[in-house]
Amino acid sequence: MANTMANTKAMRAAAQREAKKKRRISYSIIFILPAFIFYTAFVIYPTLNSVNLSFTSWDGVSDQVRYIGFDNFKEMLHSERVYNALKNTLILSVSLVVLENIVALLLAMLVDQVRWAKSLFRSVFYFPVLLSGIVMGFVWAIIFNFNFGVISQLLDRIGLSEWKIDWLGDPNYALLAIIITTVWKGSGYYMIIYLAGLQGIPPELNEAAAIDGANRAQRFRHITFPLLAGAMTVSVMLSMIGALKIFDQIAVMTDGGPGFATETLTYIVYKVGFGELRQGYGTALSLVLFVLILAISLIQVKLLRRREVQM
Amino acid sequence: MDKAKLRIDLIVVAVALLLAVLFFFPVYFSLISAFKSNGEILRNAVSLPSSLYLDSFKYLLTETDFPKAMLNSLILTVASVVCMIAFIPMAAYAIERTARRWTNGIYVYFLAGMMIPFQVYMIPLFKEMKTLGLYGTLTAPILIYISGSVGMGVLLYTSFIKGIPVEIEEASAIDGCSRARTFWQIVFPLLGPCTASMVVLQGLGIWNDFLMPSLVLHSDRRTLIVEIFRFVGELASRWDLVFAGTTMSIVPVLIAFIALQKYFVKRNCRWRHKRVGGTRQLG
Repeated sequence: MANTMANTKAMRAAAQREAKKKRRISYSIIFILPAFIFYTAFVIYPTLNSVNLSFTSWDGVSDQVRYIGFDNFKEMLHSERVYNALKNTLILSVSLVVLENIVALLLAMLVDQVRWAKSLFRSVFYFPVLLSGIVMGFVWAIIFNFNFGVISQLLDRIGLSEWKIDWLGDPNYALLAIIITTVWKGSGYYMIIYLAGLQGIPPELNEAAAIDGANRAQRFRHITFPLLAGAMTVSVMLSMIGALKIFDQIAVMTDGGPGFATETLTYIVYKVGFGELRQGYGTALSLVLFVLILAISLIQVKLLRRREVQM
Repeated sequence: MDKAKLRIDLIVVAVALLLAVLFFFPVYFSLISAFKSNGEILRNAVSLPSSLYLDSFKYLLTETDFPKAMLNSLILTVASVVCMIAFIPMAAYAIERTARRWTNGIYVYFLAGMMIPFQVYMIPLFKEMKTLGLYGTLTAPILIYISGSVGMGVLLYTSFIKGIPVEIEEASAIDGCSRARTFWQIVFPLLGPCTASMVVLQGLGIWNDFLMPSLVLHSDRRTLIVEIFRFVGELASRWDLVFAGTTMSIVPVLIAFIALQKYFVKRNCRWRHKRVGGTRQLG
């Protein structure tokens, strides 16, 4: 008798637990569902659909979508313009990764070392990050302007008029102008990452090395730099992905020109898709960009992880 | 020894000052040019305005769609951020606290989105919006912003929630709170610092965004940045007007930055306990 009662009690408890678990799961589903639906409908579905669209000659306007197999990809292989965009993308990304990280590290060390107005300096270096690429691209376009720009006016004033450069009109300098603008705008972001890294280094290490007679350069070379490897991995990765995605500055400063001198892969996707109404081809190009970004990120993580120092 | 140290300090400050001037110059240039006439910008780009010239602002506010564009930007920013905060912390909470294999799968699924650049799905998305009849409405960008922030948001919130002791929720469950009430009344207020960072970063991104709104909005629903871009094309020779526009887009950002500085620079998405005088406080 007592035995069966204990049994039913145990069974009831088990049933209750089961019900509670079910309730918990149904709550979880309700909590996750809205985010899941949005994300699936407006990120994952169009991404998957881009594979589909890349095999069509869709123009972006008509209702008719015609499948043309691999023609878009074949066209790409023979397109001088695509190779040029690839070349520009590579030049832009490599110079941006190198310059942005050097400038960011320099700024971080300055802010870390400076004795007065530390947070003011940090804010000034960081502020450009917060501004729109369109707005600052325009401001820099005026700074670079050949006839009335700030640089030209300054050169005129000190009598070096022959040094004036038509930055945005000369194919040799247009990409450099974009690089300068982007380094100015982006470095502050990576500075914050390096700054966090610098502040994570225990001061005892530097003090001990100083007592042992290491000078500033040696301490940087053997203590600070290796211990910043983690921050550097993150910063190099992010700056690389950021460089591959640059759009606003190019749109407002050069529109890919002069000629095709500043046309990158990101920009060609936009130009072809929305300027020339060849959205099938544009999608095919965007897939190539995606694969490139994925491949580069994976390689970078592998390479940079190797030199990280664990603390 | 002290003298040598002071000298190094002075050199550091001098270099920092020089770079600070260089970094601040474009912002300064943009702000002062807004108060100059076109002729004065062309003659004297660098110096302070000789008199406070306000005609460009007057023209922008009365003769163009600029006020409407500002309102559009404001609506987009506020609506998107409010929706993000309504949906994303909730999902992150369920993922983190349920901790089953399937929630883990969803977590990975959400994070994968962070790897996909917007340009990859931009054209199909454009097509999808047309099919759904949302093309040209303000709803389209709001939906796109919410969806695009899920990956980053879930990542930030789950790592923050991980640090919050479960005991708080268990206590409220014993007191008879439903899961939804436990979340919104007990857990959500504790997520404050994370929510603040999210609002600031996402809000800024939306305020400054150009590519997407320029693609999915009709001309009568242009955002501030899209309108400025149009000015650059159409009013190419009227720098004074464009500079007044850029200044009006920079000033709100500058004010927000000064007022909410700690949320901009620090990532506050980590739960911290600080012992202050024996009592536990949120850091």
